[in-house]
Amino acid sequence: MYRPFLAGRYLLARPVSYLAIFAIGIGVGALITVVSVMNGFLRETRSIVRGTTADITVLPVQHPSEGLVASQSAYEAVVKGYPGVVGVTSRLVRPAVVKVHGRENLSLNDAMVGQSGHINQVMVMGVDPVAESRFTDFTHYAEQVYDDSLKVKEVQEAAAASPPRAPDPARLFALDRKLIRDRRLANADLPRILVGEQRMLLQQLQPGDALELVTLPDDVDLSGATLASRTETFVVAGAFRTGKYDFDVNHVFVTTPDFKAWSGTRQEFSEMAVTATDPTQLPALRDGLNRTLERAGLPVLVATWEDRYAVYLGAVENERNILAFVLGLFVLLTCTITFSMLTMMVQEKVRDIGILSAMGAPALGIGAIFATCGLFVSALGGLFGFVAGEALARNVDAVKNWIESTFHIEIFNKEVYAFTTLPSEVNSWLDAKVLLVTVAFSVLICLLPAWRAARLDPVDALRHE
Amino acid sequence: MSEAPVVLRATGLERRFKMGQELVHVLQGADLELRAGETVAIMGRSGAGKSTLLHLLGLLDRPDEGRLQLDGTDTVGLSRPARARLRNRLVGFVFQFYHLLPELTALENVLLPRMIACGPLRWMTERRAAREQALGLLDELGLADRARHRPTRLSGGERQRVAIARALVGKPRLLLCDEPTGNLDERTSEVIADQLFDLSVRHATTLVLVTHDGDLAARTGRCLWLHDGRLQPLDPGPAVPVEKPRPRALQSPP
Repeated sequence: MYRPFLAGRYLLARPVSYLAIFAIGIGVGALITVVSVMNGFLRETRSIVRGTTADITVLPVQHPSEGLVASQSAYEAVVKGYPGVVGVTSRLVRPAVVKVHGRENLSLNDAMVGQSGHINQVMVMGVDPVAESRFTDFTHYAEQVYDDSLKVKEVQEAAAASPPRAPDPARLFALDRKLIRDRRLANADLPRILVGEQRMLLQQLQPGDALELVTLPDDVDLSGATLASRTETFVVAGAFRTGKYDFDVNHVFVTTPDFKAWSGTRQEFSEMAVTATDPTQLPALRDGLNRTLERAGLPVLVATWEDRYAVYLGAVENERNILAFVLGLFVLLTCTITFSMLTMMVQEKVRDIGILSAMGAPALGIGAIFATCGLFVSALGGLFGFVAGEALARNVDAVKNWIESTFHIEIFNKEVYAFTTLPSEVNSWLDAKVLLVTVAFSVLICLLPAWRAARLDPVDALRHE
Repeated sequence: MSEAPVVLRATGLERRFKMGQELVHVLQGADLELRAGETVAIMGRSGAGKSTLLHLLGLLDRPDEGRLQLDGTDTVGLSRPARARLRNRLVGFVFQFYHLLPELTALENVLLPRMIACGPLRWMTERRAAREQALGLLDELGLADRARHRPTRLSGGERQRVAIARALVGKPRLLLCDEPTGNLDERTSEVIADQLFDLSVRHATTLVLVTHDGDLAARTGRCLWLHDGRLQPLDPGPAVPVEKPRPRALQSPP
């Protein structure tokens, strides 16, 4: 009984023990908070990447001279028939130069567009809105636009209906003619386009504005003095928002027939988005699809969404791991405070050790007093850090908002991080393991001073002044 | 008195220390037999090995040669934990410099040997009784109102009385005192000595005093002289060939 009792008394009498508890708490709390936020970042990044990318993408490989070796239906037949595939939708993708109709082509600061583009360049996605909505979040993108005035007509009407109904994907590209700004365009039967909300804001676009898209034809002859280009005017039907800033600025959606008419391409599809029954078994499905398509004489590249964004996701994951490693070292460092505290305590308490021996305390019991001190400090500090870290991690967005509004600073640039809220994913089991490892390590290194205390010769200890 | 049971029997105790290159023979065959309820003074010159002998008798140290029986148990071959248990059960120490733990109150200091004797579970059942007993001891020593005080707030005499209560709380068979009054003024020393003899009789404890104080030694039943590493009987009295006691004025507490 004397062991925890004396350990408690020794600690209470020393301010340094509070400091050690505090330091361990800060270390553990920081580790838990940072790992939670980084896991939140990773989850958010994955879900955003996920949201704009199909489970599996099949990219047909073209023959050098003959182009595609088979038709879209040949590919789709094989992919659709493969077990584990829920559905497949084909897309056409092509870069274009974009200009707002009736405006001078002002070059905005590239930094506002993101790392991978220029305001005058877009990726044009030719999609079948019905097929796309069935297998991806396409309708949802149109719905989650913040600014109501930028939403497409069908989404506005669906939300206004009583009771609210789900938007009809077939009508996502619809637009009232009277909204078309330029009256000269109003009567022409122009194709419609969906533009990312971020680009709408950057270029001050409203539904009814028109964009001119310029691209090169399939058979472009780059050796000629003049380049034949293909241009079409598209009327903005409304905005979409995936939440991935980069994607929203740099992509626009048109329907497949409009895409074909504009680009004049003979190509039937650029990529095939495959939805899987089991999203956790994607690598196996990818390999299976690859083998089957190759065997059918259809050369392809098959990639899971993680493959396509491996570098991006890997970077975030690396960042998390490095931060966890550095903060883990910091926690171990704080544990050494307990070590030095105990080393000093043992030196200071040599005479007490002699007295306790004289009273019949066994050597191991005396060592246990000091080990218990280490256990108390690290357990209390770890627990404090655990509670504080969990609390902070669970409310990190509120705390961030409070700091930003109180001190008028922006902590996280949402254009860099692509998130409007600071995400956090609390994994209490992982945090508990952090706590356990901290306590275990702390007690382990405290065994050294405790062992030294236990080995002191009581007679020498009693003579010690 | 000689019919009383033997509490301690030491035969041929030898203890050597290495001081640099030299081997110092501190004890060279000390013999001692203590009976229950006896009071014995051990005197000797500074450095004669009195404290070493006391540590051996209290099982804090092991003799290089010789045998030591405590309450009928042969102790020389015992393991360290076994000796610690025996020490806790049978021996109480009182030191010249009190040696109280500064973080604990007087009462907690007194309770410590009982705490050491008990595991957490046994302590829960025994706590109340132990507290009663410790408070009773403090009361006997006139410290009832000082039980909650820290040692730093007690006078030298009070601290030594707390130390005596602590030594007696485990009902030891043997109370070993190393210069118990060496750090106190004359009047306090007398009070402490009175209480020490009184309590040892009342608790039927064998009392061993290591002292330089001839007056204190004279009050014991038997006086031994440690010389050349051996114990010799000595007639108690003012004519003992001890070092001339220093003037009391120089012995004020530090």
